[in-house]
Amino acid sequence: MKFNCDRDVIIKEFQTAQEIVSSRNALSILSYVLLEANQNSLLLKATDLKVSFETRIPVEVQTPGITTVFCDRVLGILRSLPPGEVQFELLDHERFIIKPLFKTNIDFRLKNMGADKFPETQWADPDLFFSLRQSDMIEMISQTVFAVSDDETRYFMNGVYLEKQDRTLIMVATDGRRLSYIAKETDGNLPDFSGVIIPPKILNLIRKLASGEGTLQLAITDKHLFAEFDSQKISTALIEGQFPNYQRVIPEKQEHTVLVRRGELNEALRRVGLMVEKSRRIYLDLSPDNLALVSEESELGMAREDIPCRYSGPTVRIALNFMYLNDPLRVIEGEDVQIQFTETNRAISLYSVPEADYFHIVMPMQTE
Amino acid sequence: MASSLWFHVDMDAFYAAVEQRENPEYRGKPLIIGGNPDSRGVVSTASYEARKFGVRSAMPTSQAKRLCPQGIFIFPRMERYVLESQRIMKLFTNFTPEIFQVSIDEAFLNMTGTERIFGSPNEGARKIKKVVLQETGLTISVGIGSSKLIAKIASGYQKPDGLTWIPLGEEESFIDKLSIRDLWGVGQKTQQRLAELNINSVQILKSLDLLKLERIFGPRTGEYLYKVSRGIDPGIYTGVTKSHSISNETTFSRDISDPETIRQVLLELSHSILFRLRDEKKESRVLVLKLRYSNFSTTTVQEALDHAFRSLEETHKIALVLLSRRWNGREPLRLIGLGFSQIVPDQGKFQGELFAEDAGDLRRKKVEHTVITLRKRFSKEIIQKGSLMKKDLPDRSPRPKE
Repeated sequence: MKFNCDRDVIIKEFQTAQEIVSSRNALSILSYVLLEANQNSLLLKATDLKVSFETRIPVEVQTPGITTVFCDRVLGILRSLPPGEVQFELLDHERFIIKPLFKTNIDFRLKNMGADKFPETQWADPDLFFSLRQSDMIEMISQTVFAVSDDETRYFMNGVYLEKQDRTLIMVATDGRRLSYIAKETDGNLPDFSGVIIPPKILNLIRKLASGEGTLQLAITDKHLFAEFDSQKISTALIEGQFPNYQRVIPEKQEHTVLVRRGELNEALRRVGLMVEKSRRIYLDLSPDNLALVSEESELGMAREDIPCRYSGPTVRIALNFMYLNDPLRVIEGEDVQIQFTETNRAISLYSVPEADYFHIVMPMQTE
Repeated sequence: MASSLWFHVDMDAFYAAVEQRENPEYRGKPLIIGGNPDSRGVVSTASYEARKFGVRSAMPTSQAKRLCPQGIFIFPRMERYVLESQRIMKLFTNFTPEIFQVSIDEAFLNMTGTERIFGSPNEGARKIKKVVLQETGLTISVGIGSSKLIAKIASGYQKPDGLTWIPLGEEESFIDKLSIRDLWGVGQKTQQRLAELNINSVQILKSLDLLKLERIFGPRTGEYLYKVSRGIDPGIYTGVTKSHSISNETTFSRDISDPETIRQVLLELSHSILFRLRDEKKESRVLVLKLRYSNFSTTTVQEALDHAFRSLEETHKIALVLLSRRWNGREPLRLIGLGFSQIVPDQGKFQGELFAEDAGDLRRKKVEHTVITLRKRFSKEIIQKGSLMKKDLPDRSPRPKE
């Protein structure tokens, strides 16, 4: 096996592989990536047995071949090399040679493991795939993935729930105290599948690796999700378990509405947030046409900022976990934000204005 | 440098003493507090009257019942003992700021440099004993030594209501007088092995060099025996600071492998640490389980939630999850410890829950708060958890399930 590739092109793929491989232990095959060179392209595979990734990049192949290399070390070597073309060569099935094409005084010779030791990765039946706009998929991920729980005892909330209703795909994520929801109408026919819980790792990877142009192919089986886009293939094991019945916690109708400029609210939140400890309380003091963000008094002091808004309900105080307000506001895209509530100790809803395909629900904290 | 002065304070038959104080009808009688004899429960504490019949802690309750059929058998009331323990620990703060509570009924007090204030170690200890008796009506035994090890062994030397001071320099001759059984931390298995090898006195044990002990007992136990038999503190109870963690542990005098007993111990530990946490107005999202196996190897495992622990049920549940990660359900355990770490002030701003079952946890937390408030207001408790309710044994009705 022998091929050339630009350092900056191949380094990107090794960086992705490094996020997938589970281990940095040089003795484990799961720390290795599989390289297969043929027909002027290089296939690169990485897996931690739960998430598998493969990508194909154009390279100049002199001799086809296959091997595995220790991901962590190759990445380190590539990072240390000067930019430009790099030559990779497997000598006698034994040593994997990495050297810059135009700087022949550098010469790395790595031991490797046989390609036959690399785990088989499975791929879904081509008939199962349906297509989805990449931009839609990215938006669905962005609107929900931050809301998953990282509490392992609530493993069934450790992922984003995906289900279909007719031509609509719905993604929901919750940690039990806040919930994010998005529904995207698709143009194609969706195959039938029952709701699945997708680990955030693959969703974050798709968001990061997808170009945002064109479509993405998805397939869902009982236990796995497969995605194919931009010459890359990713699959993951799904989270088993029962996602909570989220519909019953979404308030159908709220009594009071606050309409506020998103930009102004975000700015104020950023400033007042300086005086709020992470995951701590921030107060929303509402009075007619005024929204005050108030930090609670701490050892360091406090902060308050008044923002004009449209509101005609009673004068009330709502206490929220700062992150639970900040997270959705970072992804809501409308010019304005609508905050809806009925009682200060019940779920509040955050909507984009103009209306979008998503909304966010947050449970308040006690005010005293 | 001045030498250290450690007190080890051990409450005498603590649970039994509390029950006898509060229930005059139990006084002077063999009282046995522990689990259900029908479900392989074990004795937590036996009153001194019951000990005359040979009843000991960690003995199966069924065996205790055979030894002492006329005994009064009751279930433990952990919350009651926890509160009492806190009261007593608070009394110690008048004597030293450095209090290392190691279990519900014992603590080490660093009394180094207090002679000017309280007089000789003996005088200081008598003052502590007097205050505890006056304030709580309970007796304690105090051991005094230049290390925690010596203090710990000394407090068990005379019991109940004992006071034993081993002055600096007399540690080794004190240890020499003991039988191997009295050495702290030498478990049944090791004792058995020693007996098999005809090592039946501390003097014989001391005649063996470190290498030989390590070869026979393994490096850990070997070194431990070498040091303990010479009165050298092998570092018992080190590194336990109370500021960033609240923990409690149970050492069994007999290795335990009965899952039901271990479940119950974890419930008691969950109880004691959660109530202490609440009492100090703190919260924590990290639970740490510590296990010591019969071969003395120790392991800890922890779990961090994304929210603060909300209820006893939740704490117990996670404790059992942690247990399942480090215990195969068979291997005998010598010690179980449970603690909260990364403790922060509980600011009382409970986050609301979207889903009903979580709201249930929040409600339980509120209930527990109310229980604590009620108990503080009234000296006799007027409310308690059903599964820890005391009841005469044998059961007239089935014991409530957890």
